[in-house]
Amino acid sequence: MNGLADNLPVLPVILLLLSAYLMPTIARFRPRWCAPLATFATGCSTLGAVALAARVLLTGQPVEYSVGGWNPPWGIGLRIGYPEVFMLLVLNGVCVAILAYTIADISHELPPKAVGWYYTIFLLLLAAMSGIVMAHDLFNLYVFMEVSGIAACALVCAKGSRESVVAALKYLFLAAIGSGFVLFAIGMLYLLTGQLNVGYAAAELAQVWSAYPRVLWVVISFFIVGFGVKSALFPLHVWLPDAHASAPSPSSAILSGLVVKVYAFALIRLFCTVLAEPLALSGMREEVRFILLAMAVMAIVGGSLFALVQSDVKRLLAYSTVAQIGYIFLGFGLGTRTAVTAALLHVLFHALMKSGLFLSAGAIALRTGARSVAGYDGMGRRMPLSMGVFTVCALSMIGLPGFSGLITKWYLGSAIIAAGYPLLLLVLVASTLLNTLYYLPVLGRAYQGPAAERAVEAPAAMLVPMLVLGGLTILFGFWPSLPLALAGKAARVLIP
Amino acid sequence: MDWSALLRNYPYAVSLVLFGLGIHTVLARPNLLIKLIGLNIMQCGVFLFLVATGNLAGARPPIIDPAQPNGVYANPLPTALILTGIVVSVSVTAFALGLIVQVHRMYGTIDPTAIVAAYRQQKGAAE
Repeated sequence: MNGLADNLPVLPVILLLLSAYLMPTIARFRPRWCAPLATFATGCSTLGAVALAARVLLTGQPVEYSVGGWNPPWGIGLRIGYPEVFMLLVLNGVCVAILAYTIADISHELPPKAVGWYYTIFLLLLAAMSGIVMAHDLFNLYVFMEVSGIAACALVCAKGSRESVVAALKYLFLAAIGSGFVLFAIGMLYLLTGQLNVGYAAAELAQVWSAYPRVLWVVISFFIVGFGVKSALFPLHVWLPDAHASAPSPSSAILSGLVVKVYAFALIRLFCTVLAEPLALSGMREEVRFILLAMAVMAIVGGSLFALVQSDVKRLLAYSTVAQIGYIFLGFGLGTRTAVTAALLHVLFHALMKSGLFLSAGAIALRTGARSVAGYDGMGRRMPLSMGVFTVCALSMIGLPGFSGLITKWYLGSAIIAAGYPLLLLVLVASTLLNTLYYLPVLGRAYQGPAAERAVEAPAAMLVPMLVLGGLTILFGFWPSLPLALAGKAARVLIP
Repeated sequence: MDWSALLRNYPYAVSLVLFGLGIHTVLARPNLLIKLIGLNIMQCGVFLFLVATGNLAGARPPIIDPAQPNGVYANPLPTALILTGIVVSVSVTAFALGLIVQVHRMYGTIDPTAIVAAYRQQKGAAE
């Protein structure tokens, strides 16, 4: 338990927490250093995630870690296998791009006094999300959920505008209700098993579940409601559009691109570990699958229909996130290996596309003030590069060949056929049509609308991260083998 | 159904009632402060449930008595967990109170329907 290599799993989180609390001090003396330092810290934690990935890939075994040297079942355990490594790489990598974007952007988004605290919250949120992903302990999972819940609300209201304060309050109330449900369910699991460590609780629950079928149902439904609120699964999504649309652009990018998916991942990992055996043996799995699929279909159709009538671009993107969360739950709900691979791939691809969309919308709003769909007239000529990134990501959302969005749709489609739910293919097709219907007006206006005078393109420091996100969206569209291989290995762990 | 078991374990029933009351208050009452109080009631319900899981019939406090080393002791772990839970709940409450003060400063009211109306009116005026 000495040396850096042994403590690798916790080092990125500790680094992020330390730099989070250093930020206000740095902002007091050198306000311009905050953004580059935060980017650097996140870059280091990405390297940590890469090192973890290398270790897991080389040994083929999950990395187990006991915090403070206290072994489970007494201490807090961390466990990082393929699914966790995949999520850590996505979280850290996308955050590096978003933070690099803020280097030039943050002074336009926030008053100077708030900048240091903004990075505190941002890094706390990333650390908490990494914690949720790695936690192999039920209560530790809850604590990290609360940290990330509060940090996410604070990111929404960082600007302090009229809309964002109300949106953050709404988000805070609903997020607190969601984690209340989750904690209640964790309490019931503890009551049944007497264990908080995921592995021990799973082993214990496998022995005793048949005596408490009703309690098990309450646990499962509380988990679905709690994590559903947090990940904005359709009927529980009411907080998302306000919060994501009124937040500053970098906040929208991380909230829409990453935060909601971490909860979806946490739910599925609970279903695949603690609750795996009772679900499989009691026949509840069919019913849970039906609930998740029904909610996913509602999310895909409902989110797209709401997006169709939005006139504000950021609100449109926010409702599009509601729909895309449906894709992820569709994959997790089907529960076959291909479907889970597709869902994990969509976590990555949607994170790239949606943060690219929000960041380019932010750059466009910064230079031209355009926030509504009508304001995008001639934008393709006014800001060719920013609008180019927006176009690439929007086309990928629609699922055109050559963009990564198609890859997940393809895998989801084949998983749907293999699982024997052909009607769900109609949902996939309808959603593609709806995506086209709400993204094309924006693109049409941008490239066909009356030409206006050319605006100044966003500064290079903002353009580079956006171009990287857009470039990766195309790159993975042509060569998806690397993320596909990792997601496939992760799905094999989740669905043995 | 065996109702006597429910009576013997009444803390669980009470915690569920508190949980439900709290959620109803958060969702239905038209005042942000009352909503926040409802949130706290809901969290108290959860905490009561978890603390109750640590109790056993006829258990003594978990301090080992040398005279009776094999006695029945209550489980101290849920109590320790709930300390963390209370800290979390206090910080959520503090943050929400701060936001409510800010909302009152900006809109002059803490009634959500009035806030939405004020917001719509302002947006209509802007357009």
